[in-house]
Amino acid sequence: MEILIQLLIIVAPLVICGLIIGRYNEKKHFANVNERESAYEGFLTSQLKSYPGAVLPAPAPPTVVVAEVVIASDYLKSFLSGWRKIFGGEMKSFTTMQERAKREVILRLIEQAHAGGFNAVCNVRVEGVDLGGNTSRQKVPMAAVIGSGTAYHAHKAPPVSPASPVSPGSVA
Amino acid sequence: MIITNTETVAGHQITKVLGLVQGNTVRAKHAGRDIAAGFKNLVGGELRGYTELLTESRREAVQRMIAQAQQLGANAIVNIRFTTSAVTSGASEMYAYGTAVVLQPSA
Repeated sequence: MEILIQLLIIVAPLVICGLIIGRYNEKKHFANVNERESAYEGFLTSQLKSYPGAVLPAPAPPTVVVAEVVIASDYLKSFLSGWRKIFGGEMKSFTTMQERAKREVILRLIEQAHAGGFNAVCNVRVEGVDLGGNTSRQKVPMAAVIGSGTAYHAHKAPPVSPASPVSPGSVA
Repeated sequence: MIITNTETVAGHQITKVLGLVQGNTVRAKHAGRDIAAGFKNLVGGELRGYTELLTESRREAVQRMIAQAQQLGANAIVNIRFTTSAVTSGASEMYAYGTAVVLQPSA
């Protein structure tokens, strides 16, 4: 019983710390990502290998953009995942952690392309990196992601107004 | 040097394929960064030290790949891919590979 209380004294502050600071950090990051995503709404991203809507001849040769991001877990997430492992099911806290990493990395690709004077990115590839040594004994939960794409110049797509229905033949 | 991760380059023609070029590196951050990351794992947020680690590794790998391509006399590398593998916790192998080609702007 005493051991249980001692354990609680150690774990409880860490869980509360994760609950308050971790949740705050995640909310802040999501707000930041949402804001930047809406700022780049017209930016053409695709994971096609061809160059959809490329301007020819190209004003500048296409170039690769690469970005990486590592997002930490917090103690609450790690703690909850331990419980989730007992019952099974979706680990929601880790789902949002991975989502943040992936959306952030795509944003960084777009920002890099934009900084280089391009207005489109094609062939976007996003993959996870095993940085925490999840294959070894010491397991540190974190979301490490690397993304790559090719930045190029594309014709600005005409704005589609939802009021005018597009007939199938009219798409050039 | 034009580097893309697509098989073709818009507005250009591949006139000669020179073959596979590659570069890799395994890097780690100093212990201080690992300890800081341990603390960060309690409160969440971005692990900037590890992001930096990946960026450094990727730059190094790409540099080595470009050096190989230059030796072959290429002016572009197409269809490049990045893969990583876990070596030990806190370290990463970054491997970049692609196809070295000679490109010409298409008329």
